[in-house]
Amino acid sequence: MPSYIKEFLKAEKPEGYYEALVESLHKANREYNAFNVIDENVGQSGNAMPFSTKSNICVKGVETTAGSKMLKGYIPPFNATVVERLLDSGRFAFIGETNMDEFGFGTFGVNAALPARNAFDKNYVAGGSSSGAAVATAMLKYHVALAVSTGGSISAPAALNGVVGFTPTYGTVSRYGLIDYANSLDKIGVMARNSDDARIVFDAMRGGDGKDLTCAVGNIGSKKKKKLFVIEELDRYADKTVRANFSGLLDRLSAKYDIETRNIGALDVAVEAYYILAMAEASTNLARYDGYKYGLQLKDLATRYNEFFTEARANFGEEAKRRILLGTFIRSESVKAKYYTKAARIRAIIIKRMGELLKEGFIVSPAFPMQTPKISEVERLTPVQTYATDIFTVPPNLGGFPHITFPYHYQDGMPMGAQIIGEHANDYALIDFVGEWEGEFDYRYKHNIGSL
Amino acid sequence: MEEKEFERLLKIARLKLSEREAARIKKDIDEVVRYFDKITRFDASDEPAYQPIHVPTKFRKDRVSRFDDVEMLKSGSKLHNGYIVGPKL
Amino acid sequence: MKIGLEVHVALPTKSKLFCPCSLDDAEPNTNICPICMGFPGSKPMLNEAAVESALSIANALHCRINNSMSFVRKVYFYPDLPKCYQITQMDGAIGSGGYLDIDEKKVMIRRVQVEEDPAQIVREGLLTLLDFNRSGTPLVEIVTEPDIASEEELRAFIANLRSILYYIGVDINKEIKADLNVSCAETRVEVKNVTGIKSLIAALRYEVARQNALVKAGKEIARETRGYNEKKRITESLREKETEDEYGYMYEPDLTVFNISGMRYVPPVYVSKIAEELAKGSDMSPKTIKEMTMLDRNSLELITKLKGKYKMRSIIHAIQRYKKYNEDEPRQDTIEKMISLIDAGKLLAGDAVHAIKAGRSVSIEYARLNGPEIDRVILEFLKANPHVLSEYKKRSKTANLIIDKIAKAHGLHPKEVAERLALILKRHK
Repeated sequence: MPSYIKEFLKAEKPEGYYEALVESLHKANREYNAFNVIDENVGQSGNAMPFSTKSNICVKGVETTAGSKMLKGYIPPFNATVVERLLDSGRFAFIGETNMDEFGFGTFGVNAALPARNAFDKNYVAGGSSSGAAVATAMLKYHVALAVSTGGSISAPAALNGVVGFTPTYGTVSRYGLIDYANSLDKIGVMARNSDDARIVFDAMRGGDGKDLTCAVGNIGSKKKKKLFVIEELDRYADKTVRANFSGLLDRLSAKYDIETRNIGALDVAVEAYYILAMAEASTNLARYDGYKYGLQLKDLATRYNEFFTEARANFGEEAKRRILLGTFIRSESVKAKYYTKAARIRAIIIKRMGELLKEGFIVSPAFPMQTPKISEVERLTPVQTYATDIFTVPPNLGGFPHITFPYHYQDGMPMGAQIIGEHANDYALIDFVGEWEGEFDYRYKHNIGSL
Repeated sequence: MEEKEFERLLKIARLKLSEREAARIKKDIDEVVRYFDKITRFDASDEPAYQPIHVPTKFRKDRVSRFDDVEMLKSGSKLHNGYIVGPKL
Repeated sequence: MKIGLEVHVALPTKSKLFCPCSLDDAEPNTNICPICMGFPGSKPMLNEAAVESALSIANALHCRINNSMSFVRKVYFYPDLPKCYQITQMDGAIGSGGYLDIDEKKVMIRRVQVEEDPAQIVREGLLTLLDFNRSGTPLVEIVTEPDIASEEELRAFIANLRSILYYIGVDINKEIKADLNVSCAETRVEVKNVTGIKSLIAALRYEVARQNALVKAGKEIARETRGYNEKKRITESLREKETEDEYGYMYEPDLTVFNISGMRYVPPVYVSKIAEELAKGSDMSPKTIKEMTMLDRNSLELITKLKGKYKMRSIIHAIQRYKKYNEDEPRQDTIEKMISLIDAGKLLAGDAVHAIKAGRSVSIEYARLNGPEIDRVILEFLKANPHVLSEYKKRSKTANLIIDKIAKAHGLHPKEVAERLALILKRHK
């Protein structure tokens, strides 16, 4: 499948193309809530491919809220490194910021003031937390999205909206300017309509940065593998339809790959370990929102500081409050060893065992354990039920392994996504894999805003 | 989780909840903690991994440079003679 | 009595601990950036010079230094703390398990840790004014065991620490900042944020008196954190301070486990020990040499070089006289010339010192008599003119006349005469 970026940059654009694009985007956005901000000036960058950023990536001069009331009105005084690099390349034009679960806290995109809606059917969830990025990618023909994954926030919404969602190896892309959820897990990645575009964006933004120490993985390989591993202990988590469709995919893939079933022996507790670490980190990251330096401003500075902070912090959404409290609990001296340190030990085991297996081949799984739910359905889920749906996306995220989601089937008109995981720094191999898949499978889109 | 512990967490985290919110969140938290307890039954004695990859040692050289938009950093704050006004002590 | 200290020392770097902002004095909130303001999305980048400096301190305090170190987040809410957590060190600290010698005793050092300073708070009426220029200043916190047993030991500890730091290139003349732990009985009371040695001693005295009074009255000492009120010179309870359990320490995931093996550091200088050595077989006490060189590298170097060649007393005397008349540090050749004149029984006044320094021949006019000799001529003069004394008692201006007369009569420098005369008159008053 040819790159939309290359196609777009080469194509002759009709007079008023960008103005019309912005107008139709506004119209669609009123229905789908994909964007928090649409930049009217997208056409002023010359011949450049529109790109959007998730609302937790700082864009200088553009309100960046991470989907939170706490950051309402916050105009970053600097660009995130990824934004800086895309703009500097001259090939990309900023088109806006996309909707998300508050601070990235969500699997369905519903922890937002106005939840984004699935691009295939408005009654269904968009997936989260990079909900708007996925919906925008599924709506706009010529566009790429910078999205962010902590525990699956690229894979889940990409799968549910039928786009390619690429989460690079931890440390390949600078996090400078990314509003932190959990620093040891956050990764900026790409959503695109095909693998080539994901590669072009990845290349434009990756590489060492003097502003993020953890951005330390420079050499990216493309080691092809012959084996695909299915993880035994995860199999039972997928629902019947997902399992049936996924086994169809495996049949197709078995023509080119040896498919083996393996056991990691620790992924049963991966989601728990993940949430413990993520919440511990998140609860410290959210401490800084105290209501007087940026974003939400409390008027009455004559209030004593503890009451002042408490009053300001009442503006966090419910899931944020839950995670702050749980994270604070986990870090308590009395239980820290039991939860926090233990979770980090489990993480070490998972990194080791998955790393060994990934040397031999890729791990393949569904991206999401169930068919896309309706927005009304997820509202009834408890937090634990929601967290548990991250079962397939958490393992690679916990280990910082690169992974990519691609559409492989359409069920009742809704897309289904599968996920391939690779070893650290073998990111190109995954993009190649999906490129190969795209040779034999056509992606479907319901919207093509901005087609030429 | 006992009510006292829940109150303690709210105080440390500088959060206050409405009664309804508190009831709901307290129930959720109990459930999540029970869910987390699953890991206590998992045997793991490996060195904890606080980061997913090895992050090599790299320092910043001791050189001064100015941030190019200092005024914008202060634009969200209330100012008084160049100072940022914070809440009362 | 058990006293423990947590001393905060600002490290002598050009830029801040985690960002390239300048540490020079400036208008409030001008040396700031997203990192030291704690803006979302900013990430810390560790200053190498700060680590080298901290490593020098840990090494000088005989700490165990591991090959690696890491940072933690210490979470608490206060308006001066931009992220509402401080990046500091705990188990992964740069140094631990060291000691510092004070006289006959070792004060054990629990930990030497690198951390960031919060913003500065200025109170103006009811307003809380914040200056983030200070935010992110690299600090080392030196945590002692509660091994200090008296006010004298506390003074000695600080004096020795200051000297060790001075020779590493960390000057704490700006006022030492420390938290003080005092337990007169079983209970440990922490006094936070005491600035300056005077306040430290005052806080200690107050706290000792307070705790002893409580014990005497049969009352319980509350285990608590107190603050020192400089105006009232008392310690007072800080009700809203977090306890250790509430900080919720957690590994700082934006940094890493830093490999510090093979890093550069400045070797330590222990003046107390060196002074002992220098005083051996000399005509001066180790105490005098120590006091002179605690915070004076140049003098220590001069003494070390000239020892053996001249009498210690003459070396010290020459340096002292040089310093009396000059702001700058003496060169070796100047001191040696001064020593040879001193050894010849001359008293060197300011003009003579300046002449030697400039390489001119010395006017013996100003260098004829030494101190006791001047005293002798003054006393002779007073004896011969007894009325002068009674007149002086009425009008102190008379002293100028005496000085002029003696100086002219004996070819002395008036300033020299004035000094000796002042001492003599003091005795007669």
